[in-house]
Amino acid sequence: MQRLQRGDEDAFMDLVERLGPSMRRVARMFVSTDAVADEVVQDAWLGVLQGLAKFEGRSSLRTWIFRILVNIAKTRGQKEGRSIPFAAIAGDDLDQPAWDPSDFLGPESDAPGHWSSLPSDWRGMPEERAEAAETMRVIGATLETLPPMQAEVLRLRDVLGWSSEEIRNALDLTDTNQRVLLHRARAKVRAAVEAHLRS
Amino acid sequence: MACRDIVEMISDYLDQALPAGERAHVQIHLATCDGCETVLEQVRETVHLLGKLDEERLTEVQREILRAVFHHHVLG
Repeated sequence: MQRLQRGDEDAFMDLVERLGPSMRRVARMFVSTDAVADEVVQDAWLGVLQGLAKFEGRSSLRTWIFRILVNIAKTRGQKEGRSIPFAAIAGDDLDQPAWDPSDFLGPESDAPGHWSSLPSDWRGMPEERAEAAETMRVIGATLETLPPMQAEVLRLRDVLGWSSEEIRNALDLTDTNQRVLLHRARAKVRAAVEAHLRS
Repeated sequence: MACRDIVEMISDYLDQALPAGERAHVQIHLATCDGCETVLEQVRETVHLLGKLDEERLTEVQREILRAVFHHHVLG
């Protein structure tokens, strides 16, 4: 942080490398093209450099950077005439169960809501299979199919290790929204891994 | 609560984000339900695998543009 404020280029580029891919994806949620998203990211970094001297550290650095980014992205999106409803980036089924209802017994059964067939125990799987490149490819591919806000919450939390609080503040989400998005995203990735390991 | 309801809480349970009462409820259910216990382990393993995912890298072009932004700011 001090190196950054002193104008250390390596410190800046290190931060750029670490946060850049996420920033690009987040910007892209609000604007019309990849090229515009790139511009938004550049503007955000410029804003970061300009504001660095006044950064008081009341939030984490990366939260502060993302707030700058999201503000610029939303403003740019509005200028493009785009007003993105939350459902468009978060998914429009957030009030639906994240789990496939057919996994459970229906109301006509003896035990409604209980498992209709037991989920498979992955602990019986060979470790090499679970962590194989193919499984990782399935996970990566599933992330690409998620609504972008679900994917990003999942990446920040489970791939990059951000805290829930940082994610909420960075992406301007309520606690409830962030939890629901994370749950849905994890459920979909879990389902994809399950299907893959069963095949 | 049935399994169908418990699994909708499983992510929050894993992250210790449930209020104490709900947490206890899930814990009691898990103690006697193999299916839901298995699901908890699946979600735990899913999170573990996600942690091994490679993050995207910036392209050379993106990197050098941002380096130029830095230089311009420092010089300007």
